[in-house]
Amino acid sequence: MELVEDIKAAKDVVHALLKARKTFRMYPETNPMYERIIEDAHAKFRSFFDYRDELTFKIKQNELFCGSEQVYHSPQKEDNIALFFFKDGLRELTFKKEFSHNELEEFLKILTVDFDKEVVDDDVVTLLWERDFHNIRYVVDESFLTDEEDYETSAVEEAKDKTAGEDDLSRAYADAFKEEGVKELSIVPLTDKDLHTLVKELEKDAYNKMDKLLLIIFEMLYQAESKGDYEDVVHFLNDAVEFSIRHGDLATVIGIMKMTREVIDDPSVSDEVKKYLGLVFSFLGSETEIKLLGEFLDSGVEIEDKVLTEYISFLDKNAIQPFITILGELKTIPARKNVINALIFLGKKDIQSLAKGLYDSRWYVVRNIIYILGKIGDKKAADYLVKTVSHSDVRVRKEVIKALGELGTAGVLQTLKECLDDPEAQIRTSTARALGSIHSAAAKSIILQRVADANFMKSDFNEKKEFYEVLSHWPDSDVIEFLMKSLKKKSFFRRAVNDENRACAAYCLGLMGSKDALPLLYKIRDSKNKFLREYAYTAIKRIEHDR
Amino acid sequence: MTGKGKEEVFAGAKDIINQLAVIIRTAAIHDPGNIAVTTAVDKFLALLNPLIASEGELTLELGGEFFYINETRIRYPLEYLPNFDFLVREFKKRGLGSIVFKDVIKAVDMQTFFKAFISSVFSQTPFETFSEDVGNISSLNIGKLRRVKDEAEVGEVDIRREVKKSYFNAVSYTKGVINKIKSGEKVGIKKAKRVVEGMVDLILEQEQLLVGMTAIKDYDEYTYHHSVNVSILSVALGQRLGLSKKVLTEIGLVALFHDIGKIEIPNEILNKPTSFTDDEWSIMKRHPFWGVRAILRQRGFDAMSMRSAIVAFEHHMNFDFSGYPRTRKRFELDFYSKIISLADQYDGMTSSRVYSRIPMSPDRALSLMMERAGKQLDPILFKFFINMIGVFPVGTLVMLDTKELGLVYQSEAMFLDRPKVLVIINGKGEKVDSYIVDLTEKAPGGNFLRTIVKTMDPNKYKINLAEYLL
Repeated sequence: MELVEDIKAAKDVVHALLKARKTFRMYPETNPMYERIIEDAHAKFRSFFDYRDELTFKIKQNELFCGSEQVYHSPQKEDNIALFFFKDGLRELTFKKEFSHNELEEFLKILTVDFDKEVVDDDVVTLLWERDFHNIRYVVDESFLTDEEDYETSAVEEAKDKTAGEDDLSRAYADAFKEEGVKELSIVPLTDKDLHTLVKELEKDAYNKMDKLLLIIFEMLYQAESKGDYEDVVHFLNDAVEFSIRHGDLATVIGIMKMTREVIDDPSVSDEVKKYLGLVFSFLGSETEIKLLGEFLDSGVEIEDKVLTEYISFLDKNAIQPFITILGELKTIPARKNVINALIFLGKKDIQSLAKGLYDSRWYVVRNIIYILGKIGDKKAADYLVKTVSHSDVRVRKEVIKALGELGTAGVLQTLKECLDDPEAQIRTSTARALGSIHSAAAKSIILQRVADANFMKSDFNEKKEFYEVLSHWPDSDVIEFLMKSLKKKSFFRRAVNDENRACAAYCLGLMGSKDALPLLYKIRDSKNKFLREYAYTAIKRIEHDR
Repeated sequence: MTGKGKEEVFAGAKDIINQLAVIIRTAAIHDPGNIAVTTAVDKFLALLNPLIASEGELTLELGGEFFYINETRIRYPLEYLPNFDFLVREFKKRGLGSIVFKDVIKAVDMQTFFKAFISSVFSQTPFETFSEDVGNISSLNIGKLRRVKDEAEVGEVDIRREVKKSYFNAVSYTKGVINKIKSGEKVGIKKAKRVVEGMVDLILEQEQLLVGMTAIKDYDEYTYHHSVNVSILSVALGQRLGLSKKVLTEIGLVALFHDIGKIEIPNEILNKPTSFTDDEWSIMKRHPFWGVRAILRQRGFDAMSMRSAIVAFEHHMNFDFSGYPRTRKRFELDFYSKIISLADQYDGMTSSRVYSRIPMSPDRALSLMMERAGKQLDPILFKFFINMIGVFPVGTLVMLDTKELGLVYQSEAMFLDRPKVLVIINGKGEKVDSYIVDLTEKAPGGNFLRTIVKTMDPNKYKINLAEYLL
């Protein structure tokens, strides 16, 4: 084994393993490089086995030996392949000639486990043991498993000390001639039915054990004897909740919460117990659990709406703030949508907590909260929303105006009126639309007042058109009269601007389907202003064909 | 070994054995020429012949309760258990120990083989009849059933030493870990896994030796020995059920901590030399709850801790729920709980420090457990258990027809009524330096040299098994 060529070939294997160890995990299994790494290392093994049957490495803390020759040395703690094996008690590793490509792949998977960073309940020896390699043999030192040195000797000595006296043995011998004969227990034959029953039971046993354990935990609750017992149960239920969320098992979480609710609703259960169980609901809505839920929602796994709705129904208002926090952190649209829906549900329980999200530093979160408040439709929300109309981000302002429009309380009108003076045209038009959706006389009055304003004429055509479109929501005499008047209005100065206004009025009358306006519209259909002509024509068509 | 990797060969081997069982079952109902049989034979040959071609020769051998192909034990999935078990019984009925496939096998040869196999069971000398009937098939040979391994060949002393070392390592580890848990330390599972893996390996290879270690109960530190004994007995039972190494490790680990709740019981109760008062009993009966608590506090929730907690809670509930704790809602007992409660009851009954305080001899404990089977104990698992422990469990005090008195030293998987016995009193009634006799040994005339005529309870005579068996 210590021929120069043998040592060189063994060193080549070690080098190949070291190289593979560095690069193996960088590539997914589908990448050609992954295969190449295994193949390169396996080639070194094959070369070694060309003339030899086994390759044995003796393992020291920082060295690998082949026979008496050192083939690897590293004084480092990191990246030390000898230490990697040594620390778990591995002292010798032998590869046999038939060591296959597949076995090498599995071996490399073990060799590249980062025990410091990964949560693994196995050590190197266990991983080797579980793989049950046909062509790897190893020797381990088990002494580090026990704290007590030579326990065996002391235990055996103690046990042997209790020796029976000779009289007892003689008595046994004498009795042997008196006692009954052999009481032989016969071997019991197993029937096919027995075996099939057993196979079925084993299949059934493969199911998740959480449900069973939960029954036991609730049993512990019913048989608890002290406050400490209650605290334990709550702690275990919380752990079960967290474990299930981590595994994306929302159905189990729902199960836990249902069982908890059942106990709380049980009149025979004391208030003290109920108080403890209430903590499980708080835990479900805690920052950690909501964050975990967020990660799961973001993972792209499809979740049935029904399941998520039921899950959310068990949350308490303490979940609002954590949800607001993760709302700005989620990466996927479906996840954000789910959180928004959750907040729409939860926000109803505590508008004030939800409204705190309006002060979030992330504009998109604020916009989402505004949307949520709008969807909740609680009139109290308006008080919080009006404070946001001066938000620095135009997207937020736009959203809040829309929400205020949907809320439509009298109190928002003054705010909306002020928003009509916003420097951004899109805000002004959004405000007009919001007023349109409020649809009250007061709102109409604000719009009418705005479009009647001399300065309004100077606005961009599209903005004006939006305002007139909003006016069409009130097809009453006031508005029609105003529009007819606008349509008729002639001006020698700034004629083009005036014609734009007339076109908007025509457009609005068309939208309202006002037949009374037809004569006038026919008249201006022949206008010299092409723009006005077109709008009048479209309006006529719309009114005549009721489109 | 040429061509295929060894692991691939053995991956397919279980299918060959399974198919062999399928054919025998089918051939027992239909004529060997029936299409059901011939189709099954064709399938069998399609699996077998390529392996013979690649391996040169294939030997299927029954060793103990297990099949080996070319000396490698073949493991199988659960769904194959009925067929494997059936085949073991069919081989044993005929005294058949091995089949050597030497060349490409033809369908017609296999039909002759199966016809002879089925009919041989009706013969007075089944193996000889079978052997004669298949003598003309040149591509295969059959061999007679023999003992698994002659330990003398493989170094009996070394194996025993290894078994002993592994056993005491496990006890020492358990002692350390229980003490750490008692003192509130967090304990990892890596070392426990290593300890149990070692036991699983030994049970797979030397089941009876390690199970035999559980017979010795004269240690001071009962709690730790009991935990290890229950773990060994549970793993051994699991192995009989054909469970995988990984599952066996899980059972072993769960069993090791089944009584962890007892750390909360005051020592003065736990080690009380007299019977418990009602109050003391009610404290004892809390240990399943405390077990769940200890495990979940230590490990939180994961697959292993969930199983461990369930077993810690259920291991005294009994198959018919007549035990404790009594629960408001009835639920099915966990499969591991059923296994571990069998092992727990057996070890408890044959020990001197639990509940009844009067240790029972193994055979008496098994008799009592037999009465409980179907009530307190799962009847099917008990069948496996009793077959595993054997007709004469290690430690049984026996009188031989030679008037020698001895202790059962080692059970023999193949010949359960003929164990090895450590003689402590010779045929003249004299106490002697103990010596081992093998009850399978025959005189030149063909009669057995020694046979057990009486069994007795060693506890009744304060015989210290440790003195003789360690």
